[in-house]
Amino acid sequence: MPTINIYKWRLLNELKISETQLEDLLFNLKSEMKPIDQDHIEIEINNDRPDLLFVYGIIRSIKGLLKKELGEPRYSVKDTDYVFEIKEVPSRPYALAAVVEDIKFDDELLKELIQFQEKLHITVGRKRKKIAIGLHDLKKIDSKHIIYTTVNLDYKFIPLNSDKEMSVREILESTPQGKEYGNISLLDGKMPAIMQDDGQILSLPPVINSEKTRINTKTQSLFIDVTGTSLDTVIFTLDVIVTNLAEMGGKIGRIKVISPYVDKSPLLQHKSIKITAEYINKILGTNLNKNEIIEYLKMARFDVNDLGKEIEVIIPPYRNDILSQIDITEEVAITYGYNNLSPSPYKIEKMGSLSNRTKLIRILRDLSIGGGFTEIFTFTLINESFLLGDFVKILNPITVDYNSVRNSLLPSILIFLSKNQHARMPIRVFEIGDVVIRNENTETGYSNKLNAAYAIMNSRVSFEELQAPLHEILNSLGINLVYKRDTHPLFIEGRIASIHANNKKIGIIGEVNPNILEKLGIEYPIVMSEIYLDEIKDIL
Amino acid sequence: MLSESEIKILEYLSKKREASAEDISKQLNIPIESVFSISQLLKEKGYIEVEEKKVIKYELTDEGKRRLKEGFPEEKLVKLLDGKEKKIHELKDKLGRDFEISIGWAKRKGLVKIDGDTVIPLVKDYEAKEEKEALINPEKANKDILQQLLNRKLLIKKEEKILNIRLIREPLEIKPALIFLTPELLASGEWKKYALREYNVEAYPPFYPIGKKHFFKEFLERLRDLMRDLGFKEVYSDYVEIEFYNFDLLFQAQDHPAREIHDSFAISGKGKLTDEKLIERVKQIHERGWKYNWDVNISMRLMLRSQTTATTARVLASRPKPPIRVFTIGKVFRPDSIDATHLIEFHQLDGLVIEDNFTFRDLLGTLKEIFNGIGIKEIRFKPAYFPFTEPSVEVYGKIEGLGWVEMAGAGLLRPEILEAVEINSSAGAWGLGIDRLAMLLLGLKDIRLLYATDIEYLRNRKVEINADN
Repeated sequence: MPTINIYKWRLLNELKISETQLEDLLFNLKSEMKPIDQDHIEIEINNDRPDLLFVYGIIRSIKGLLKKELGEPRYSVKDTDYVFEIKEVPSRPYALAAVVEDIKFDDELLKELIQFQEKLHITVGRKRKKIAIGLHDLKKIDSKHIIYTTVNLDYKFIPLNSDKEMSVREILESTPQGKEYGNISLLDGKMPAIMQDDGQILSLPPVINSEKTRINTKTQSLFIDVTGTSLDTVIFTLDVIVTNLAEMGGKIGRIKVISPYVDKSPLLQHKSIKITAEYINKILGTNLNKNEIIEYLKMARFDVNDLGKEIEVIIPPYRNDILSQIDITEEVAITYGYNNLSPSPYKIEKMGSLSNRTKLIRILRDLSIGGGFTEIFTFTLINESFLLGDFVKILNPITVDYNSVRNSLLPSILIFLSKNQHARMPIRVFEIGDVVIRNENTETGYSNKLNAAYAIMNSRVSFEELQAPLHEILNSLGINLVYKRDTHPLFIEGRIASIHANNKKIGIIGEVNPNILEKLGIEYPIVMSEIYLDEIKDIL
Repeated sequence: MLSESEIKILEYLSKKREASAEDISKQLNIPIESVFSISQLLKEKGYIEVEEKKVIKYELTDEGKRRLKEGFPEEKLVKLLDGKEKKIHELKDKLGRDFEISIGWAKRKGLVKIDGDTVIPLVKDYEAKEEKEALINPEKANKDILQQLLNRKLLIKKEEKILNIRLIREPLEIKPALIFLTPELLASGEWKKYALREYNVEAYPPFYPIGKKHFFKEFLERLRDLMRDLGFKEVYSDYVEIEFYNFDLLFQAQDHPAREIHDSFAISGKGKLTDEKLIERVKQIHERGWKYNWDVNISMRLMLRSQTTATTARVLASRPKPPIRVFTIGKVFRPDSIDATHLIEFHQLDGLVIEDNFTFRDLLGTLKEIFNGIGIKEIRFKPAYFPFTEPSVEVYGKIEGLGWVEMAGAGLLRPEILEAVEINSSAGAWGLGIDRLAMLLLGLKDIRLLYATDIEYLRNRKVEINADN
């Protein structure tokens, strides 16, 4: 979840609330805050609410919860004589722009605006792949006709934070932004560019802006461009930025767009969803009347039209998380207050049941304890060098220690024993757990397998010492066992048997090969066994 | 309880009432030192009284024994002279080593006199009768003789301890002691003749490895019992999963940040999907809701499941007939740095209720019941966001000493999902991370202790008795 740093006094002063109240109100916006220093707080914002990534978006929502302002705010919008012309940009086909005038920045606010841009890049923009935003000082643009097109790699301009002209190639190769984002839009040697009609570049989306239009605390009007691969996301992103700037007093300027898809922007797109009180009450289990619901929706900053039986909810342009009636219902629940919704008394309709797997595990655990074995619990993930045969290898492991999924419990047991050579002997342990094996009959090509493993480590151990209790444990399940001479790389030749029941191999038992002990640095002999419980389940 | 030797001594004393240690030693053929130590034990047990005396004892030296047998040197001299004068050198040859002593004592006793190199006898016969008697019976000899013998080193004087032992309590029943009972002793009734030896029962025993259940597995089993008791049926699915069940069916967009490579473990290869109708419906709901081109190839990628909601998704995909209540407890896998509060494999409890008219309040009631069952009495609900639920809620529980801790995510399943699996009832679902919760409730400082590799930690760990509440 993204977090933002906010100058806290602006929030508290605009809303006239205490810090504790703020914390409670943020809780209802799915957010949590924690202090950074005397003047700043960090707020965690949920992925579904990009409109809250800027302080004025938070102020707008909290004003609704406090009933200081209800419904959708009315922002000033006027037409301007700017023209934004969109040419063919195959790697990033969509672009829109807008103007916002009459805004005042201070240091904190400017930082927060840039933070807003960055967080939108990461979340909505999927790290600038889906959309990217350019913010420009309008006064520094000396043309009314802006063009979105492509440039080749020799094209030159002064990028942000530089004092000399660089070619697009140089920018892609030598600036941090160029290295990180250059590949996203470069196609056939061409990069998308936003430029004045005289050829001066304003930005090279999604990489970098020009130094020419750099914004600072003296900036009063902004030119905002949004480019990307999804028209819906471009429209929404521009809407969420201009409405948040309008919330701090800016006047939204609409500009003419020359493109196959729209003719002006921002679109300030509204949706409407019709809903009934009955639907909401049925979902929530409440008994709210229509007027109450309308009030709660207005607190959530929605405009509402009462159509009689139905309520028409107007979704403001800065909300992209409201897909259908159910999302409206959640808004009602939130403004009503989750903790005001009394949980229904719990009723048991039918007896519950445990899986046969769990029942078998429980019985076997009891018997194993009866056999004097202590239960251990090891990780499923393991280093591949411990495994034999076919197993699942992780493509992106965090550490080599856990780069594979075990296909047997025996390596886990051996690792466990290797770490306990200082402990009081004898060590008699068991584990019942899942391993993962190749299985062509499943959708994934793999399946879990339930195994049980037993081991005894002592200064002297023998095959029979483990075989005897294990035999009794399995006999208690009503299984008649047959032991057959076998071979296995983990065990000493002639001291390893496979265990059979109903003509099926259900496990192995043997004394561990000293080569293996030596490799693991184990200085005590070990006898161990692995039993395949899925095979046993089929017999029982 | 009495030992065999103790019994022997008591039996002897019950006849004699009183005896010296020396006497007992001789009569019972027990070394005198043992008699001393046993009588000390019997005294402590209150059977006897011991009187200790010191006496002087005389003992013959080796020379004393020889003189008694071979005669005194002065006797030999008188006998050799046989009433006649003899030359010293002649006597010296005959008496050898004893010559000096014999002349000395014969002179002192007035038996001979010396004139130049001639020894002149003054008596015809002599026997050292008194001395011999004194050697045999030194206690009765007169003082001068005794002193003379001591001076001649024929006797030595010794101080000796004498124990006089008197029985003061008759033992009720005197039996020899045994260490082990045997089937033979039991069968024959012989055991009645013996007493069983006492042990040092206050000493600590040697180590004994007992079988013990794993405390964290027990915690998981209690959760399973709780869910069953609440009317839920247990379900289960595999660790290796296709993204379709981990994400797509749960309405998580394919370009959602949580689906990026660093948030789940990827596995090479592709899975298969056979339910064409389900694939088509999932494609529709994604494209309608998130407005992008849904790619079935992405949904077939393999991964280690990152949430047990994948199990819930498989239940949904089976198009179960409501009403149903199911749960699963199992492992999930997520890349993370491993430390005291983070693991890369851990457990979740996922639950699903599908019933007609199941409301959000019903869901909150269910969550409350589950958390109360775990022992968390105070809970709070917070609005939340999950791709597959709406309304969504996070459950916070109050833990003593820690305050409010986030414990579960829940919500009503989105209508889009129910539509995809053709279910007309409403549904609630939740996922609860178990390991962190267990760590808090079991009082662990380090989450890795849930999978402790130190057997002594497992052996020494106290077993929870009141773990349910």
